[in-house]
Amino acid sequence: MKTRILSAVGGLTLGLLVWLGLSESYGSFLARVNEPLLRMTEERKVSRLIARPDGIVVERTDFPRSSPRPVVPISDLTFNVILLMALFGWSRAPLATRNVSRLCIALLLLSLTHVLGVFVTVKAIYALKLGSWSQAHYSRFERNVWGVLEHFYRLVGMYAFAFVLWWGLGTRGVEAGPSKARRQRVSKT
Amino acid sequence: MRKNRPAVLFLISFAVLLVSFYLLIAWNPVNDAVIVPFTAGITSVSALVLNALGEGVTVVGTRMSSARFAVDVENGCNGVEAMLLLVSAVIAFPSRLRPKITGILIGFVLIQLLNLVRVVSLFWLGVHNPRLFQIFHTAIWQTVIVLCALTFFTLWSRRVTERRGTVENPHS
Repeated sequence: MKTRILSAVGGLTLGLLVWLGLSESYGSFLARVNEPLLRMTEERKVSRLIARPDGIVVERTDFPRSSPRPVVPISDLTFNVILLMALFGWSRAPLATRNVSRLCIALLLLSLTHVLGVFVTVKAIYALKLGSWSQAHYSRFERNVWGVLEHFYRLVGMYAFAFVLWWGLGTRGVEAGPSKARRQRVSKT
Repeated sequence: MRKNRPAVLFLISFAVLLVSFYLLIAWNPVNDAVIVPFTAGITSVSALVLNALGEGVTVVGTRMSSARFAVDVENGCNGVEAMLLLVSAVIAFPSRLRPKITGILIGFVLIQLLNLVRVVSLFWLGVHNPRLFQIFHTAIWQTVIVLCALTFFTLWSRRVTERRGTVENPHS
């Protein structure tokens, strides 16, 4: 158990370093992927996403020049990578090829959820945070939908995605059943 | 496929329960009547601890403030998200009712104790080391709380499986 806790901490630490080190370039990637996705939902292709160190700036060609631009804080939407790596670190053989390859697949799938998270956050900004413009362009139902989706993603969805990926892809080579200590006790009786 | 069926069923049940519980607590009447007073309670207890440490904190609702720092304890900082995950996972996992109730109660206490440490330490960081506050607030403490909830669930499910004598938990 001590070993597993230590390797989970190791996974957490590695995840933290990856998250801190790659945040900026990952933000660029998320901006590049999300911009065409957003434009697909628009009659006039007005959205532009510009990656900056502090997040993704949401730009629209129909924004007034003087108005401040909303910023999507990427770090707030992507730190579940730390949780995922800690969970995979919890495995009995964290450095086994099978565990590492499944972690890579899980990270790839997690990045798809990050694309979704950014998309939902930008749509929620449009639907809820632009004052009278939001009310004019989004119905009450649409505002509720985008608000709930964004809130769900941030409050529980991020963690649930990491947990589901780990539960579904985590190493199945580990033994399922009673602990080693219990098996030893049973065999002695 | 048959071998994976229990895991798939668990994941589907977990997802459905999580969404249902989320919609319940996000519903304004429930949020106003339960979550907000609960969060205010957490804030008050945290303030007691901080005042015992000499931080001179005052509380109004869910907001704590001192001469040097102020913080509003919101959803995401009250342990509710970790509880939603834990409760959904415990209910979705095949076991009798009694271990589920025990697991949820013990998990609730553990998560809230850890969350108390989170709120107190974050306020302390906000006062004494603001640079570290943001990273601990955004990433580290959130991850630790959820990780502890999921670790507790893994250990609980292992114990339930051992007692039942069946082989169902691939993460024991």
